[in-house]
Amino acid sequence: MKGDTVTFSERMLKIDRRIIFLVIGLCTLLPLLYPVGLPIKISSEVRGVYDHIESLPEQSVFLLSIDFDPASKPELYPQAIALLRHAFRKNLRVITMTLWVSGTGMADQIVTQVAKEMGKEYGTDYAFLGWSPGGQAVIINMGQDLYSAFPSDYGGRPTKELPVLNGVRNLKDVGYMVDLGAGKPGVEEWYVFGKDKYKFELGGGCTGVMAPGLYPLLRSGQINGLIGGLRGAAEYEILIDHKGQAVAGMDAQSATHIAIIVLVIICNVFYLSLRRAARAQGQAG
Amino acid sequence: MDATIFGAWVATGLTLLIFSFLYKDNPLFKLAEHLYVGVSVGYTIVKAYDTVLVHLVVKPIVEQGEISLLIPVGIGMLMLTRYVPKAAWMSRYAFAFIVGMGAGLAIPRTISSFILKQVEDTIRPLLSLAGSDGVTFSMNLLNPASNLNAIIILLGVSSVLFYFFFSIEHTGAGKAVARTGIMFLMISFGAAFGYTVMARMSLLIGRLTDLIEYSDASYGRPTIWLLMGIVGALFLLSRKGQEHPPDSH
Repeated sequence: MKGDTVTFSERMLKIDRRIIFLVIGLCTLLPLLYPVGLPIKISSEVRGVYDHIESLPEQSVFLLSIDFDPASKPELYPQAIALLRHAFRKNLRVITMTLWVSGTGMADQIVTQVAKEMGKEYGTDYAFLGWSPGGQAVIINMGQDLYSAFPSDYGGRPTKELPVLNGVRNLKDVGYMVDLGAGKPGVEEWYVFGKDKYKFELGGGCTGVMAPGLYPLLRSGQINGLIGGLRGAAEYEILIDHKGQAVAGMDAQSATHIAIIVLVIICNVFYLSLRRAARAQGQAG
Repeated sequence: MDATIFGAWVATGLTLLIFSFLYKDNPLFKLAEHLYVGVSVGYTIVKAYDTVLVHLVVKPIVEQGEISLLIPVGIGMLMLTRYVPKAAWMSRYAFAFIVGMGAGLAIPRTISSFILKQVEDTIRPLLSLAGSDGVTFSMNLLNPASNLNAIIILLGVSSVLFYFFFSIEHTGAGKAVARTGIMFLMISFGAAFGYTVMARMSLLIGRLTDLIEYSDASYGRPTIWLLMGIVGALFLLSRKGQEHPPDSH
């Protein structure tokens, strides 16, 4: 009987990895097809960003840096959509840009799509400055003179002629800035070369992988809020009362997490049973 | 064909080709992988050429007469001398400029942001003053500013720093402190790994959401047709591999 258990454990520990892929795939696919609607609790870090945007008076300048490319789209795209909807609903002057050359087209598509949906006019209500080379040097340059960093917008129009930028000379004139970053340059660079030097209020959004590394900045007040991964995006969608892709993905996220936890427990049980059997054999020998 | 529908077919096809790696490494996956690399590099080169060379260099110099831009252009051109062995030494000036400027910009700002600010946040009072008559101790674990969390952070920082202090052998009381440090490190790694799992699952959710959307009749059901096509192609490739096994000598 004991021998059978050991054999079964060994077999399970050497299970074809494709079966595990299939289990994870089904745990993701089924909740997407048949959503349950598990409750989503709002965290204080996401509320930090939301509350600050809520507190801004109309026509304040809101700068959103879309620093990611399509590889991080599933996590950061819903964040960008939710933030832009919130800013447009608050009638803020929205300035968008990117420090990632590979994300330029996608950033333009995001901004144009949400602006169209919210009935906003380019140049008057919002602008997309596009990409400028240099990473952190662009941030420093914007801190000194925004028009030197971006002499023209994404469509080639001179930025000095855009009404949405009236009264904006540099980063000190920005009411609130949120960086959605998937790496470098990202939230850390915006803090180090932007907020720390030019003293504007900064919030962040990032991929799940990056979130643990940014919590120290949040705790110390260096950033006033953090939207972490798809979960953070879902929370923001709940806050603005406009459920989208992120909320739809939360059931699948929970199901896969449960599947992974169960797999880890099962794997450990089999491993321990094997070890116990090996010990028993050693004693018998 | 409408660009949106064409895009849906391309996105679905490439997603399924990449997913085919989960079955096993195959030429279809390689094709998608090479396309990804090629398209990314091509896109970056075109955007960089248009934004940097055309809009930030050529146009300002030619149309607005900003001659001062020739200085950074000249420094940048020195980089290209690396391709000429006899003149390669000149590229050192460009590198020296970049390293010097980068270090000068980054060092003070990084010290201020990541060392001084973090040290300031770590050294917090372990007890709070409550009015004029006494002190309080808040036990709320969920509040990052509570006194209990300040003590946990103190223990964590001290023990992890001690763990990386190799001048003293970790025996006796030192061993206990170092072990506490390892525990804090393990919790930190666990939290980071948990977030990583969450992020990777989010990527899968994103792709599956698109595949579900593109299985709709309005797109011509690319998910279903391409899935069948790719499964069929994998089957044929597998059969071909069995009939003509790779040369083993």
